[in-house]
Amino acid sequence: MKLNSIVKIPKVLGAGLASDDGFIIDAQFTVGYDAEKFGATAARVVSRIKKSLELERASAILYTQKSVFFIRETEDGIFFAICQKDANIGLIKIKIDKALKK
Amino acid sequence: MADELKIDSGALIFATLADVYLSSGMIDEAISILKDGLVRNPGYTLAKIILGRAYYMKDDIKEAVKILEEVYTEAPDSENTNLYLGHCYKKLGENEKALKFYEATIKINPENSEAKKELELLKSEKVEEKVAPEEEPKPEAVEVAVPAEEEVIKEEKPQEVEAAVPTEEEVIEGKPQEVEAAVPTAKEVIEEKPQEEVKPEIEEKVEENVEKEKPPEETKPAVVEEKVEPQPAPAVEVTKEEPLPEIGLEEAEKKETPLQALEAPMQRLLKIKSVKGAFICSRDGLLIQSYYDRPDIEELCALIASVISDADESFKFLQKDSLERGIIEKADETICVVTAGESLLTVITEPEAKPGLVFIYARKIIEEIKEILG
Repeated sequence: MKLNSIVKIPKVLGAGLASDDGFIIDAQFTVGYDAEKFGATAARVVSRIKKSLELERASAILYTQKSVFFIRETEDGIFFAICQKDANIGLIKIKIDKALKK
Repeated sequence: MADELKIDSGALIFATLADVYLSSGMIDEAISILKDGLVRNPGYTLAKIILGRAYYMKDDIKEAVKILEEVYTEAPDSENTNLYLGHCYKKLGENEKALKFYEATIKINPENSEAKKELELLKSEKVEEKVAPEEEPKPEAVEVAVPAEEEVIKEEKPQEVEAAVPTEEEVIEGKPQEVEAAVPTAKEVIEEKPQEEVKPEIEEKVEENVEKEKPPEETKPAVVEEKVEPQPAPAVEVTKEEPLPEIGLEEAEKKETPLQALEAPMQRLLKIKSVKGAFICSRDGLLIQSYYDRPDIEELCALIASVISDADESFKFLQKDSLERGIIEKADETICVVTAGESLLTVITEPEAKPGLVFIYARKIIEEIKEILG
C-alpha cells in the first residue's frame, strides 16, 4: 500500500499502518504529529468496534474537535489517516478506498 | 348536444352543454363535463368561467373564487368573470372586493342590470352602516329605545353575519345560490324569535344602558351577540365550535413531553431515502428514544455507546481531543453517531446512504436534543 498517495492529498496530516496491538508498521506524518499515538488510538477503536458490533473488519470515520480520523482494518493491519477538519472528507475517503483496493 | 359531444369529445360545445345543464339545475353534471372538457382544452376561458359559476351555484365559493381569479388574471376584461367574482366575494362577506368587481362589470358593460342592482345594494348597506351609530343614542325612554334597538340589530346583523357567512354556508349545504341568501337567513333567525322573548331582553339591556350611562357603541354589539348566541341557527353553532380545536391544541401542547418536540425533525430525518432508523441514547448506553423498530435496540444502544465512549476516551487521553461524531461502516449498514451533550444520536442507514445529508439533518436535531436533555 502506498501511503504516499494519501499523504499528498491536501489537508491530510498523515497516514499509517498499525498492528492489532497498536504498534506502527509504516507511517508518514507531517512534522509535529505523533504516529504512534494515532496508531494506538486506531488499534483501540478497531478492537472495540469489532468486539461490540461483532464485525469481521472494522471501518470508521471519527470526527473529533480538531481533526478527522479514518480507520480501516485491512489484511495488512489497521490503516489509519488523519486530516484537518475542513478537508474534503469525501475525496479523502475515495482515495483511501482506491489505495486500499490496490 | 350531448350526443354531439359523444361523437366529438374534443368539441368546444361542452361549455354550451354545461351552460344548459346549469340552467336546468344539473350542477354536478355541468361541473363533470366542464372538468372533462377543460382537460382537453385547458385554455378555453369561457368554459372556466362557466365552471366558476357552477361552483358558485354549488355554494363552493372557495373553488369558484380560485377558478375565477385564475381567469381574471388571464382576461381581466371579462364581464362575467368580474360579475361572478363580485357575487363570490359578496357571499364571502368581503364587500369591498365585491364592490370593486361590480364596478368593473359596469365599466365593461354599463347595461349589466345585475351588477348595477348588487352595487346599489352594497352601497346602500355601506351608507346604513355609517348612519347607524348616529341614530343609536336614544336612552330617554324604554319604549322609544326598543324599536331603535331592533333597528340596530337589523342594521348591525349583516356585519356579524358577513363574518360568519363562509362557515354558515359550509353548514347549510344545498341552500339556494342567491347572493343575498346568507344575510336574510341570519336576519330571519332574529326575527323568528317570538317578540315576547326578544322584547324583555332588549328592554332589560336598554334599562341597563340608561342606568349605567354607557355609550351605546360599547353596549349594543353585546346585545346583538347575546341574542344571536341562544339561537339554534347554524351560523351561531359554527362560531361556537370554532374555538374548541384551539383549546384542544393548547391542552395537547401542555401534555406534550419534551422529547415529543423532536418528533417532527426526526421524521424529516427518517424520510431520507436509505435511512433505516434512528435512536437517542445516553452516553452510558441507556435508550432515551427510539425511532427504529428493532428488537435488539437496547443492546445496540449499549454497544454503540461503548464504542463511542471508548473512542472518545482514547482521543482525550492520547491527543487531548474529543469525539464529535463518527461513521462506522458495516457490510450491511452504516452507523452514523453524533454526540449531543450527554446523549448520542445514532442513525442507521443503508451502506449506500449519503452520510453528509444525514449529518445535515442530524445537526438540527442535535440542537434540540441539547436544549431538552442538556
